[in-house]
Amino acid sequence: MVGLGQWGRMVWEAIVSLRDVDVWLGLTLRQLTRVGVDSVPIALFIAMFTGIVLALQASYTFTGAIPLYFVGVLVGKTMMLELGPVLTGLALSGRVGANISAELGTMRVTEQIDALETMAYPPVAYLVVPRVLAGIIMFPLVTALAIGVGIAAGWLTSLQLLDMSTYEFVYGLTLFFQPFDVTFAMVKTISFGFVVTSIGCFYGFRTRGGAEGVGRSTTQAVVVSSMVILVLDAFWAITLL
Amino acid sequence: MGIEIRDVHKAFGSKEVLRGFSAEAHDGETLVILGGSGSGKSVTLKHIVGLLAPDRGEVWVDGLRVDELDREGLFELRRNVGYVFQFAALFDSMTVAENVGMGLKRLTGVSKEDRMRRVEECLERVDMVGYGERLPAELSGGQKKRVGIARAIATEPRYILYDEPTTGLDPMTRAVIDQLINRMKAELGVTGIVITHDMESAFRVADRFAMIHDGKQQFQGSPDEIRSSADPMVRAFIEGRPELIEEAE
Ligand SMILES: Nc1ncnc2c1ncn2[C@@H]1O[C@H](COP(=O)(O)OP(=O)(O)OP(=O)(O)O)[C@@H](O)[C@H]1O
Ligand SMILES: [Mg+2]
Repeated sequence: MVGLGQWGRMVWEAIVSLRDVDVWLGLTLRQLTRVGVDSVPIALFIAMFTGIVLALQASYTFTGAIPLYFVGVLVGKTMMLELGPVLTGLALSGRVGANISAELGTMRVTEQIDALETMAYPPVAYLVVPRVLAGIIMFPLVTALAIGVGIAAGWLTSLQLLDMSTYEFVYGLTLFFQPFDVTFAMVKTISFGFVVTSIGCFYGFRTRGGAEGVGRSTTQAVVVSSMVILVLDAFWAITLL
Repeated sequence: MGIEIRDVHKAFGSKEVLRGFSAEAHDGETLVILGGSGSGKSVTLKHIVGLLAPDRGEVWVDGLRVDELDREGLFELRRNVGYVFQFAALFDSMTVAENVGMGLKRLTGVSKEDRMRRVEECLERVDMVGYGERLPAELSGGQKKRVGIARAIATEPRYILYDEPTTGLDPMTRAVIDQLINRMKAELGVTGIVITHDMESAFRVADRFAMIHDGKQQFQGSPDEIRSSADPMVRAFIEGRPELIEEAE
């Protein structure tokens, strides 16, 4: 609870720091590529296997009682609304969140953050703003890719292993599709991007006590942001669906 | 206007590090702070740029009360203060030249050419020419230290705080750094605070001494006064003879 207040203060400072455009702009571009490069392979890897499994489980569950094109419905809806955003979010909390808190934690314990301050660089504008912005921008892009790859994997599985036609799969895919699905997925992943990066920064910043402290804050960042992702996931389902 | 630390108290949890420490660096002078390991010297220095806030007491720099400055005020003050960190604290994702240029980048009206020229000049002053493109991880401890000094002097600040600038350097380089500290004072009128355990260096650069013990000021005075001090604590420290303290007790 004390942590929540301190996190809130950091986020507020980050919002106020948005006016120091000259400090964060160039750095944000660098973070964008870093977050992207860090994230894409793992996110696509997970999405591909999820798509395959979803298609197979759907056909196993339906056992002929339901038309096969419902495989397309299930793969599409589940990837889009739930597994794409959440699995990507969880994977990136391990990849991006851990990376951020380890990097900032090391900077903290080696007094690099103090050094920034003494050189009149506001550390939040310099370190937090670029990372959080990169998260908010890159998570949706990476998640969109992951959803695409997951659905494609489901489609190929349906063709190869389930004797479905592309027509059937696409028919199912589009049957219950609503534009709001996209909005919903984007709201979720933007919030996950914000949560993972801001919590990574938060634990990095408050690191104490050498290499051991860095390890501790990295673990905490991953655990806490994963839990918050799951809670937020339920929250969005309750409020938006 | 100098630097003044007035009756500063600072505790971390239940650990009282400073218990009413005072010290003063007059305008254009170098104050050397002495004290045992863990006595709170680095903590004191951090108060001067507002990295730490005192629990009680006052910190004055350049006529401003640091512990009551707001964010903007602090940043304004810090543009005039260079800080040499005890363990260099170089930005490890940047090259040596980028490290040294960081402060200049923050100042308006310094062109890129001027900045690069100035960086070269500062590296030359600490005898690190040719290392500009290296990363901090590729440097020895003493080399990092010297880059840290170059970084602190790059903006030609009016105040420079040196936390053990010569620890871990060979005698030759130490003398070079001591000369640099004196030159910054003579040429630019820098007001400086130097923390050191090296008495030879201390006497080379000091206009005044302050000694911290038990979180309080044990001594403050000129080099002559500290040489002739009868205080067994001071004698033990500058002569490196701990037995003097026991004899006194
Ligand atoms: N941020 C902090 N949190 C908790 N304790 C701290 C912190 N900074 C310093 N201390 C404690 O304050 C005491 C004084 O530390 P300081 O670094 O000022 O010593 P020092 O006089 O510079 O010693 P040395 O000569 O070894 O560098 C130490 O016991 C240290 O553990
Ligand atoms: Mg120290």
